[in-house]
Amino acid sequence: MKRSYLPVALLLAVLMLNIIVTQYMVHQYFYQNYVSTIVAGIMNLILFPLAFLIYKKGVNVND
Amino acid sequence: MTDKNNKIPFDEDNYTHNINRNNERKLDRRGFMKTLVGAAGVFAVSSLPWGAVAAKELVGLGDKKYPKQKIVDVKAIPVGDAVDFHFPGEHDSAILIRLSENKYVAYQNACTHLRCPVFWQKEEGDLLCPCHHGKFDVETGAPTAGPPRRPLPEIYLKVENDTVYAVGVKRYEA
Ligand code: FES
Repeated sequence: MKRSYLPVALLLAVLMLNIIVTQYMVHQYFYQNYVSTIVAGIMNLILFPLAFLIYKKGVNVND
Repeated sequence: MTDKNNKIPFDEDNYTHNINRNNERKLDRRGFMKTLVGAAGVFAVSSLPWGAVAAKELVGLGDKKYPKQKIVDVKAIPVGDAVDFHFPGEHDSAILIRLSENKYVAYQNACTHLRCPVFWQKEEGDLLCPCHHGKFDVETGAPTAGPPRRPLPEIYLKVENDTVYAVGVKRYEA
């Protein structure tokens, strides 16, 4: 039974990206760059299914 | 010595580790990953309102119309003094400073760090945010010290018949 911690690391990376993108989004909103705000928002939306895929792939390995 | 008390779960006949909490010891690798996916979901959902408001701004953009609003009479504000007012909305607090005989500046005075109200410090000639000691340049609204990174939004002014009016809010250059 060897479990892989790669998905955990990937998910942590996703979380880090989430934080960065969210902060960027809020700042761009206040800077009135509304296009960048929306792009960042979409990034955040895409990161969720990505995280879910990583999880799905990751749990099936073992454990 | 047996290691029966090191087993998980413990055998029932022990008197020290007999509290059974639900899901104790359950934050294994899988549980942790679930939490992370959940966090990603929370981030995704919480970006929705920002996107929506931004889209709204984007659609209704074409030069917003601001009402011309009286702030004070020139007589009522000596050189070097400041008055608070609200512009363009009731909840957008702002500050007007008379720098010299004919020079007025006005900014929306919600600090660009965490939105505390910014005050005019006559002696130092600074706009000071008391919350975390952010400072802004009075001529331009640019942050000069402390946590704020974004300039204060400037308000366009017009002086007519000895009265100061607010006529618009300057946009940031995109
Ligand atoms: S809120 Fe103004 S410095 Fe933090």
